[in-house]
Amino acid sequence: MRTRPVVRVGQYLALAAYIVFLGFPLLWLVSASVKSSSELAALDMNVIPKSLNWGNYTEALQKQGLARSAVNSLIVSLLSMVLVVALSMPAAYALARFKGRLRTVGITWILVSQVFPVILIIIPLFLVLRQVALVDTLFGLVLVYTTFTMPFALWMLQGFVAAIPTDVEEAAAIDGATRFQTLRRIVFPLLMPGIVATAMFSFVAAWNEFFFALVLIQSPENYTLPVALKMFVGGEGKVALGPLAAGAVLATIPSLVIFSVLQRRLTGGLLTGSVKG
Amino acid sequence: MGTRRLAVGALAVAALTLAACSQGSATTGGGADAGGTGGSVTLKFQSLSDQPAAIAAVKDIVDSWNAAHPETKVEIVQAGWDGVYDKLVTQFNGNAAPDVIHYEAASIVPFARDGYLADLTSKIPAELKSDVDQGVWDSVTVDGKVVGVPTELQTYVVFANKKLIEAAGQQVPTGSSMTYDQFEALAKATTKSGQYGVSWGLKSPTATFMSLALASDGTYFEGTGKDAKITVGEGEMALPKLVKKMAYDDKSIDPVSLTQSGSQALASFYAGKAAMTVQGSYQAANMAKDAPAGVDWVELPPLAGSAGTKQAANPQTLSVNADSANVDRAAEFATYFADAENMATLNEADALIPASNKARATILSKTGGKDGWAMTMESAKGLTGAPFLTVDAYTQWKDTIATPNYQKYLANQIDDAGLQQALTDGFAQVNR
Repeated sequence: MRTRPVVRVGQYLALAAYIVFLGFPLLWLVSASVKSSSELAALDMNVIPKSLNWGNYTEALQKQGLARSAVNSLIVSLLSMVLVVALSMPAAYALARFKGRLRTVGITWILVSQVFPVILIIIPLFLVLRQVALVDTLFGLVLVYTTFTMPFALWMLQGFVAAIPTDVEEAAAIDGATRFQTLRRIVFPLLMPGIVATAMFSFVAAWNEFFFALVLIQSPENYTLPVALKMFVGGEGKVALGPLAAGAVLATIPSLVIFSVLQRRLTGGLLTGSVKG
Repeated sequence: MGTRRLAVGALAVAALTLAACSQGSATTGGGADAGGTGGSVTLKFQSLSDQPAAIAAVKDIVDSWNAAHPETKVEIVQAGWDGVYDKLVTQFNGNAAPDVIHYEAASIVPFARDGYLADLTSKIPAELKSDVDQGVWDSVTVDGKVVGVPTELQTYVVFANKKLIEAAGQQVPTGSSMTYDQFEALAKATTKSGQYGVSWGLKSPTATFMSLALASDGTYFEGTGKDAKITVGEGEMALPKLVKKMAYDDKSIDPVSLTQSGSQALASFYAGKAAMTVQGSYQAANMAKDAPAGVDWVELPPLAGSAGTKQAANPQTLSVNADSANVDRAAEFATYFADAENMATLNEADALIPASNKARATILSKTGGKDGWAMTMESAKGLTGAPFLTVDAYTQWKDTIATPNYQKYLANQIDDAGLQQALTDGFAQVNR
């Protein structure tokens, strides 16, 4: 059935409006990042700056060492992403496929683990990490992020596993595939969109996390981006708005690059036609 | 065989754990001199200075200390204001706090009560003691012990657009103070179509109301710690009532500004939409930099109520970690940091008011009182220790009770009696 032209135009208009709605904050951020402090303090809020002030970028990079913080964030986020995916994949498969009391316990644990506020956990966690000399280290942060992201990642991934019909695994078994071969050649490729989605979620969770990084990291050379960006917010209500906006723009770039690389693999429809019925 | 392997494994784990524990406990950086009596030590100084000029000033002070005191090296650990309370809670609980801690009077009280901050009473040099007003010392004194060296302060001041005041046929107030009646009259006189008399950013009104209430003898609290009692009477209600009257009866305060931050309210002042704005004194430095060329701004004399120009002194402070292996040397550094010359350099960079009178005089003579410094220093004369600074539940009351109820009051959702009851009952609730 063909879509009528009027409907098609309406769809495009709605899509354009949605893109503007989503893109406007980013546009505003970029605009603020090149405005002078006097222009930022003015009442008339123009999107297009009167003049381009690149000094905010220089200040952001020089004042808080944002490049170093970005590298730290990237290391922490990528490592915790890899760990979360690697650890949650087999667990998610087991959780989705093997019904039993252990599964109920596992699911309950996942849900309960989401209930505790981090402020409740931070002091015991700090003490434990201090005992093993992992306070103020990026590796300590990776362990913490992996631990705290895992439950939700597991929950997410087991949903993707459950969506793969068991028929395809049975068909592979009938064709003579071993369990490992079935997992590697059949389940893993079908699970790829779920793995990518989980990886993205883990990456973003670590990339944006502030509180653990604030408390566990002591040395400025180990600061992650959110902590470094918060340094632009001062006492007595002072905010260095221009450099903060410039820093935020710079902080968005690595995340966008990672997303653009991963999103191509986040395509649905891989299961289409895998099972007749 | 299995048992032996298990035993070897357990021993290996125990050895690794012990090794990790011994590494983990070396946090003070105290070096060879644990007692602070000799040898070289390194002190960690967690600084919250955020402005580029202030960061440079702090570095200069630390460099000059390190050059003069090779046996007591100070290392700056740069931190930010956001979330620093939680960070310190964790650091103190984990016995990993730095030796010297930069923070503010209102926030160090709980740490002092829990015994985390060293008593500096006997370590403050007589010269510094006498050069800082007693009201400021009171703000850093907990249970009779000085727990912080005061460094920088701010006051709430009124900035005016000279041209708009004169265009309304009014004279720009001069002298050493301006009464609230004068302020109200000036606001009325300068209010006209498309222009308000005042733009006042009261999005987070509690600190402003608590501080300025002292000028009307509104102290809110009596007693200290958990024994404190709250009273919300005439003195406490004087300013909120005035603001509400000006916003809704006189219509001389821009009502939108009551929902804005100080910086946001500054924008309408810059745009000539308001003749006056009430701001933190540090905004004078931003005005000098950012005010459009056509805005001829001036800082007015400090506001005076029935009790004069009193305001709460809530200074930024340098405290010493009581568990530091080098309390004496850390205290020596903190007092060096607060030396008049250092304080003047730092405060000029930060656009804040020095705690010591000598440093204030230095800035005044250096700046010639320009860019609002003359009136800012005048306003500093009324700084005094406020009872709320030593109330245990103050921070919780401020965030969960006072701020939302003041916001409701300013939005005209509750009346005077409603506000008084909410503040009083709320304190009883959080102070249980």
